[in-house]
Amino acid sequence: MDRILRDKKAIIIFIAPGIILFTAILLVPICKAFYYSLCDWDALSKPVFVGFDNFIKLFTKDKTMRIAIKNSLFFMLFSAISQQITGLFLAVILSNIKKGKNFFKNIYYLPCVLSSAALGLLWSFLFNQKMGINQILAMFGIDGPLWLMDTSGFIILPMWVIGFVATWQYTGSTMMLYMAQIAGISGSLYEASYIDGANKFQSFRHITLPLIKPMMVTTLSLNCIGSLKFFDLVYNMTSGGPNHRTDVLATHLYNEGFQYFKYGYASAIGIVLLVLCLIVTFIINKGLKVEDYEL
Amino acid sequence: MKKKLLSVLLSTAMLVSLLSGCGETTTSETAESTETTETTEVAETETEVAETEATGEVVEINWMFWDDLEATEDLMSIGYAEVIERFNTQYEGVYHCTPITTNLEEYDTKLNALIAANDCPDVYICNPGPNLTQYVEAGAAMDLTDLLQNQEADWYGTFTDGIFERMTYDGKIYAVPTNFAAALVFYNTEMFADAGAEVPTTYDEWLVACQKLQDAGYTPISCSAGTAWCLSMIAGYLCDREGGPDNLIGVNAGTLDWTTDTFINAATKLSELSQYFQPTAAGDSNDQATAAFYNGEAAMLVQGSWVIGQINGNNPDFESKCGVFSFPAVEGGADPNRMIVKTDNLVVSSTTESVDACVALMKCFTDETAQKYTAEVSGKIPVIDVAYDETVAPAQLAYVMDILSKATGTLGFYNESLASVEAGDTFDNAMVDIFLGNVTVEDGIQSIQDFYTENVWNK
Amino acid sequence: MDQQIGIKRKAISPIKILIYIVLSILVLVYVTPLLWMLSVSFKTNSEVFASPFGIPEVFQWENYQVAWSAGKLGIANLNSFLVCTVTLISSMLIGSMAAFAIGRMRWKLSSSTMLYFMIGMMIPIHCVLIPLFVQFSKLGLTNSLLGLILPYVTFSLPLTIYIMVGFFKSMPTELLEAACIDGCSIYRIFFSIALPLGKTGLFVTGLMTFVSNWNELLLAMVFISDATKKTLPVSLTYFVGPYSTNYVQMFAAIVIAILPTIFVYSLFSNQIVEGLTAGAVKG
Repeated sequence: MDRILRDKKAIIIFIAPGIILFTAILLVPICKAFYYSLCDWDALSKPVFVGFDNFIKLFTKDKTMRIAIKNSLFFMLFSAISQQITGLFLAVILSNIKKGKNFFKNIYYLPCVLSSAALGLLWSFLFNQKMGINQILAMFGIDGPLWLMDTSGFIILPMWVIGFVATWQYTGSTMMLYMAQIAGISGSLYEASYIDGANKFQSFRHITLPLIKPMMVTTLSLNCIGSLKFFDLVYNMTSGGPNHRTDVLATHLYNEGFQYFKYGYASAIGIVLLVLCLIVTFIINKGLKVEDYEL
Repeated sequence: MKKKLLSVLLSTAMLVSLLSGCGETTTSETAESTETTETTEVAETETEVAETEATGEVVEINWMFWDDLEATEDLMSIGYAEVIERFNTQYEGVYHCTPITTNLEEYDTKLNALIAANDCPDVYICNPGPNLTQYVEAGAAMDLTDLLQNQEADWYGTFTDGIFERMTYDGKIYAVPTNFAAALVFYNTEMFADAGAEVPTTYDEWLVACQKLQDAGYTPISCSAGTAWCLSMIAGYLCDREGGPDNLIGVNAGTLDWTTDTFINAATKLSELSQYFQPTAAGDSNDQATAAFYNGEAAMLVQGSWVIGQINGNNPDFESKCGVFSFPAVEGGADPNRMIVKTDNLVVSSTTESVDACVALMKCFTDETAQKYTAEVSGKIPVIDVAYDETVAPAQLAYVMDILSKATGTLGFYNESLASVEAGDTFDNAMVDIFLGNVTVEDGIQSIQDFYTENVWNK
Repeated sequence: MDQQIGIKRKAISPIKILIYIVLSILVLVYVTPLLWMLSVSFKTNSEVFASPFGIPEVFQWENYQVAWSAGKLGIANLNSFLVCTVTLISSMLIGSMAAFAIGRMRWKLSSSTMLYFMIGMMIPIHCVLIPLFVQFSKLGLTNSLLGLILPYVTFSLPLTIYIMVGFFKSMPTELLEAACIDGCSIYRIFFSIALPLGKTGLFVTGLMTFVSNWNELLLAMVFISDATKKTLPVSLTYFVGPYSTNYVQMFAAIVIAILPTIFVYSLFSNQIVEGLTAGAVKG
């Protein structure tokens, strides 16, 4: 069997389409992005090589960059924690109930399926000062806060609001992945544990949790990378405002590149984002060592 | 079941490759003969291609615009759609124009992508100010001076005086305007009468009027303070009323600091005025603030005259009680008869192959029919001296024209008159911050000063 | 089912009731905003601002009509559907093959190849948009559906591969060994054993791929200029004018846009349920 698994020809046949497609379409633009990050370029004339100027400016003079990094990291932590807990919680519960499993699963996954632009618009209505949630609160005599414009505190209120909406939208996908992984756990393991007298919590802790660890690494990485790269909801709800205070790396990139026509600078931000993602993935993979359980 | 699904999907894939195979075209023409399209109102080239065989070469040009021509409810955009249709009908067999439309958000992105790929649209719409400057400096805009002043002198003569001022760089004209709008203050005549407030001519009178309105229980001003350009309209006016055209000239040349009194006073007044905004000013979107005005919740709205169409369209009854006054003067300040105006401009690509077609198109945009529509239906101001039916046009337009006739000069939106788009943004954002109370007036102005010191004056 | 026989009395425990209550509250949190969106789609624009939360005075069915025709939603739907389906099949096939090779087969460069694909996932699309557009323009692929499909497949590959590697790695080795002993070639093993076993993973990634491409806006907007080739998300932006937004028709269009997604989604998610229940009781 080992010999079959080392069959070079087969490996190449399996990998080739992906690699060819990937290289042909993405490699060139990515290399160009690296090159542009070292240039001054406004997309209308030729790029002007400036070396590491962009990067130096990014880290020393750009106030918005600092805010963007802060917000992106906050977002990453918030999403990771909230989505992992909620997603896993829901996945376990839904895997265990019989009635309505399908119904609940479909409803929770539904927001993932909707376009972020539409949802951003929808929620910005709901969190609007005059309409939406504040209207309901007003019925109880509570003066709702400026959900999307409040600028006090280290992490301002709008960021929490956007974080909440992002969790609302994407928890379903984490849940779905966990459910798929739990489905792959053989029922006999559980039966054996019950015969041995374990209760549900114990079987969860000692069987389910270790066996879904690979999926934990996957979903955690996806969560973190997705939140670092996050653009749609932030852009549609606050556009990075007020005055860049809810800017994340992706919106900052968009502004610099597509509003101010500083594509070189924007590419530099993109490279920073890429490096950040790599670091985070590396940390996750090292931190959650996954053993291969032979089932 | 899986096999069946697979086969259905595979046949769909084959169908797609067929379609896209036929669709592989160079980017300027479209020759989609196998597409299963229903009749589309947007001028499609299918019939035209057939005609080309018969009548000889039809010159194809593109026109790029920031609103979809069919789904739009904006009256001006509908007017433009009509112009395109008229053009295509009038020049059938000779010229044909295919619009490329995007959303306003993505407009610059797409235009830049097309320019970068050497596929610039023949004619495209552009904002005046640093936006236009960028295209001029990159060489993507065609110099129209000779064309306008010499070859088409008659056409050039029909335009209102001074309208080309903002598109002239070093004496060369790079764009043609199609309409313009002015920013002023709209007010609810009924509320004013009820509160005993008078139309103000100076800033102090304005504060008095606001106070009277507030005492009578009305919200004086509706403003979307969270939307940077809305607030900056007011801020820009205040800056200009304080220091006049010298302000802009000064900061752009580097001879005037932002931290001088003239700007500090303007920002302070902005802060003062904002206490009369609606309580939800910070969170309201532009649509909401405008709606608050025409739904009778607030007494005044500082906006551009493009909003006339929106107001009358959403609340036809409002037209009779909507008045207009010019932005008040500042006592001891500069000339109060200057108006903030903004034009819609058409730029011709410097790489176009069919200049004649482009000129013909632009003439259609600025001919009497189109300009009459501009005034009568959309309530915007024509760029040529045309007689339009004042009874049909929105009532507010008459007031606007009246105010304009007394204007001694024009300026652009402040955020479109500064050194770059980013500079404009910095100005806008600083004003929003001052309004929100996040920074003091001094600190807000200082941030604009810092930006300029670093990025503009040191270059 | 076995353990139920012994402890049938405990079937309706208070914990179960609590669980169902929590789940139902969550359903409310999920569904209410969507219902609200539905109600807005039946109002007029001024009504939206005047009474955002009420039931519409007059049900403006014509919003849907206008949204459909003005937004050309029929064609847009068709285009989106074609693009997303082809992308789906291609990325599933190519992705799972690559994932199998990386996850299961033994060769030195497997983790570096994985990293290579992952970089595609980490780079924000705005960075590569313009270079990609210029490249495609030279190839004459802009303004065509194929020109959208190729980047979509490429962008969907990293996610698919990443998730499928996880699934392939956790597959029981005995089955593969048994097949080897029976004399199956590696290709046979892949198609007849690995793929069916990874069915759940395939459906999950398939759903994610389809959905994310269905909602993709930026590439579609920049690459396609022809009105007859625009996809659904682009059509939705029609209702955002330069000065004001036509909210009610936009929401109507959004509701129309959601329906096919829900259709495909229920098709796929039921398959996932099959995969789940096949594993019986899960403690």
